[in-house]
Amino acid sequence: MATPAVLLLIAFVAVPFLAAIGFSLYNVRLGDPRDPNFMGVEQYARIFTDPNISAQFLSALLHNLIFAAIVVPVQTALALGLALLVKKTIPGVGIFRSLYFLPVVFPIALVAIIWRLILARGDQGLLNSALAFFSGGAFGAQDWLGSETTALASVIVLSIWQGCGFQMVILLAALQQVPSELYEAAELDRAGPWQRFIHVTIPGIRTTLVFVALYTMILSLRVFDQIYVLAKSGGGLNEGATRTVMYEAVTAAFDQNNIGRASAISVVFFVIVVILSLIQRRATRNQEG
Amino acid sequence: MLRIKGSRRAAATIGLGLSVALAMTACSGGGSDSEGAQDGTIEVWAHAGQAAESEALQALVKEFNSSQEDVTANLTLIPEADYTSTIQATSADELPEVMEMDAPTMAAFAYDRKLIPLDDVLASETLENRIQGVTESGTYKDQTYAVGMFDVGLGLWGNKALLEKAGIKDIPTTAEEAWTVEEFEENLAKLAKASPSGKAVDLGEANGFASEWGTFTTTPDIWSAGGTLLKDGKAEGVINSDENVDALTTWASWKEFADPNTSGSNFPEGKTALTWTGNWMYPTFSEALGEDLVLMPLPDFGNGTKAGHGSWQWGATPAAEGNEDAAGAFIDFLMTDDSITTMVEANAAVPGSTSALEQSELYGEGGPLEMFANNLESACSSDDVTAECIAVARPVTPGYPTVTSSFGSALQAIWGGADVKEELDGAARAIDSDFSDNNGYEDE
Repeated sequence: MATPAVLLLIAFVAVPFLAAIGFSLYNVRLGDPRDPNFMGVEQYARIFTDPNISAQFLSALLHNLIFAAIVVPVQTALALGLALLVKKTIPGVGIFRSLYFLPVVFPIALVAIIWRLILARGDQGLLNSALAFFSGGAFGAQDWLGSETTALASVIVLSIWQGCGFQMVILLAALQQVPSELYEAAELDRAGPWQRFIHVTIPGIRTTLVFVALYTMILSLRVFDQIYVLAKSGGGLNEGATRTVMYEAVTAAFDQNNIGRASAISVVFFVIVVILSLIQRRATRNQEG
Repeated sequence: MLRIKGSRRAAATIGLGLSVALAMTACSGGGSDSEGAQDGTIEVWAHAGQAAESEALQALVKEFNSSQEDVTANLTLIPEADYTSTIQATSADELPEVMEMDAPTMAAFAYDRKLIPLDDVLASETLENRIQGVTESGTYKDQTYAVGMFDVGLGLWGNKALLEKAGIKDIPTTAEEAWTVEEFEENLAKLAKASPSGKAVDLGEANGFASEWGTFTTTPDIWSAGGTLLKDGKAEGVINSDENVDALTTWASWKEFADPNTSGSNFPEGKTALTWTGNWMYPTFSEALGEDLVLMPLPDFGNGTKAGHGSWQWGATPAAEGNEDAAGAFIDFLMTDDSITTMVEANAAVPGSTSALEQSELYGEGGPLEMFANNLESACSSDDVTAECIAVARPVTPGYPTVTSSFGSALQAIWGGADVKEELDGAARAIDSDFSDNNGYEDE
């Protein structure tokens, strides 16, 4: 029964992972027909000790963690809020549901291009001109994507805007599964709206909430597209302030043709992700038990 | 409302089945392409650049196919932003017979055995008729690996009406008259006030300084300051030299006058007075600004004004081996004066053959873009930049991808306000470590 699944796992997970370990020990250069030289653990040593490469890798890892630490709670909370809003059966609620879901339909690369226009530096940027208009010119033009302080925050905002609708739909489905008798019973017990939310809604959708948080966590760890698009095609994104581990691996492999280092980065990242998933699994299991 | 009903599930299954079927036909369609060699069909890959340029190329391929019966060229256009990485990631046996490449990537592709020498593939007239710049950027280890239909120039374009409004009368037209950096900066301040956008110059920020554009557009600054990227395959002490640090500090300080130009049309619409870009924009600019368009040399940092050169060029891959005649016939056709003229009418580039250059209305004597042709006459290599030479080629080395990627990342960070010296030190270390990993890219 499990044979097809095991075969697929071997073909698409085990083989590439073992190949990555193999590549990371050699100086493999993309497109080079020559036999690669054996380098041992040099690539790993560089990731952790070389002043440039290690600084870049560690800052990339930090950006991933900051991204996850902000996006997971904020996006989940926002999605829950939206789901509660569009759960109401008022006329035209379908339009709102579609509108909130709409950004999910756009590929993140397209979203990045749209936000590039919103966040453009100078007076012509949509956000800058809107802020200048409402503050009567008191608020000067900011370089949202280029500045070290706002670059990562800008990426986080646009990512939440894009991703929120999907979680909303999942949470909406969960909310509709909560039996209405429970709400009626709570109302009879004179529970206020806040108490009903805490004691009926949240326990009713807890498994879905855990799933949504896990799913967002995984997406946050592999964040790449929006950063690549904004940094490489004229968004002027501050690369140093926003690079992520995936971005490091892809640029090492395809801009610098250094497959060896890209593989080493991937292997290290794999280990980190496994550790994070184990921690998260333990935490949620304790909660359930 | 989100429950999936039976009929929807059926529809989803059918949809999935259809998409799998479509994907399979797409794959089999792709697979048959590579067997072209036997029936006189050659595959050709080119970058999709400016619309007019791509249209001209499509017309030329059509003309080639109808001009004779032996060879059919099958053109595939690939978006410019992904073009080089597409070639890089394609193994040599899956490449088309003939492909285009950007000049500085040629050495890396030759080193990777993705190109074959053209000296016996092309007609000797084609090779002898090339202009100096094209010959140089197609030569690696004393063999011709690529030929270009055109070369390019980089210049400072101005809007005469706005220059006059700002009270600037001294408008340079030849390399000797180039503004010094101090003059340029004084003028930027004046022009920012005169320009409706409030910004004086579009430095090409919207193209992304982290991409090849960054290297192409800022290297004239460092060459003009007396610096360069690499010497004898070493970056330490070269790319992070004091000259380069000063030049790029100056460049980054222009940001307050620089137009981010997200709409892409501020200069032709007369909103910004200056733009720092190449000849390929001439058709757009001259149509929009007419008599108000002026072409100036880039500012002089002390070692004379400099300009980049080297553009898209054609080569044949190992797939063409055994079928060299067909590949050669196609490239020879592209390199005829008629084809070159068709192309340069579309992109306003410098014609790549001596005879086509002589006939050119744009680049011949007294033509509006004569400066670009003159710049190319005194071309030199990046290893040895003299005060006299104007057009400088980017380093011809298989390690160029790392050079441009490290330098581009540094540029992007410098533009964002990072420390110039630190960024260039980092680029130097990254480049040198890559060269030493690959034995200095020595190609036996």
